[in-house]
Amino acid sequence: MSTQRAQEVLYESEAALRLVDQELYDQHEVPRGRHNTPAAGYAEVPQILVEAQEQIMSVLLQLRESRAVLQLSSESRFQLTHEKLREVTSATEVAATDILDACDRATGLVDELDAIDGAQQPDRAKAVQVRGTLRDELHVMMDALQFQDITAQQLTHASAVLMDMERRLTEVSMLLDNSFGIDRSTPIIDEPLDDSTFDPNATTREAENRQALADQIFTASKLPAA
Amino acid sequence: MKFLVVDDSATMRRIVINSLHRIGYTNTIEAEDGADALAKFDRSVSFVITDWNMPNLSGTELTKALRSHADGADVPVLMITSRSVRDDILTAMEAGVNNYIVKPFTPQILKDKIEALLPAAAA
Repeated sequence: MSTQRAQEVLYESEAALRLVDQELYDQHEVPRGRHNTPAAGYAEVPQILVEAQEQIMSVLLQLRESRAVLQLSSESRFQLTHEKLREVTSATEVAATDILDACDRATGLVDELDAIDGAQQPDRAKAVQVRGTLRDELHVMMDALQFQDITAQQLTHASAVLMDMERRLTEVSMLLDNSFGIDRSTPIIDEPLDDSTFDPNATTREAENRQALADQIFTASKLPAA
Repeated sequence: MKFLVVDDSATMRRIVINSLHRIGYTNTIEAEDGADALAKFDRSVSFVITDWNMPNLSGTELTKALRSHADGADVPVLMITSRSVRDDILTAMEAGVNNYIVKPFTPQILKDKIEALLPAAAA
């Protein structure tokens, strides 16, 4: 169900609640003259109760529909968010493992350099080679840190989903009682995320396949037209 | 040859610049978003490497702005981004991006793409 439909349902629910509220208020404010003739007032009670019941049933129906809309829209988004958060955990672990492996290899290379330096006749050519390999390992560590940019985007996306759900739940709670404790003008999270600053599909997975697709498209664009 | 590296992630800017140094390109400047890049761009910049998703001015918007800039019409633009669906790649191409690297990337891919575009930069 679309967001627009969800908003319509919420609007209709609110309108129905307002009608019930008005009806109850009117009954409370029965003109004093009518209190002087209790028989006439009591005679209207069954009809009032029937109308109130109809209004309440209508509200319940709208609320059920609202709940269904919220459930439908939230389930898939929460599932996707859950997957993204799991991927963040996985990407972090892979990067940490890569960095630790590179650290182990770098430590071994430093030991190797120590051994060369400690020899009676140090093998300078070998030392140059080991230092080159050591530099490569340090660069491997730095390259592994690319996960930070991608996981930051994934976390921002998850945060955006949570903010959206918070907004929807606040709207529903306002329907139930918009006069108690909730100030519509001050949302809990007051800085909306700029969705142009992150890619909701950002991933560390299958980089080679995704690069191959980009290469294919750019290569095809450079081919002369048949 | 001066490279302008544009990314809102300071980590990514360091990684890209580090990779450039590794493959022999040491003249680099950096910008934290498209607007900052446009302010820093001049005729001394001979190669632009940019991210896509950034505040103020995105990588595609930056590329379009460069293409209408007096000194930017022919400057090679290499995009490094996590966006990798077909439509995104086509959008980047239509904006004027010359080549495309998907994150996470290796220094070897960066080297290959730069070398492929170098004749354009030298021309």
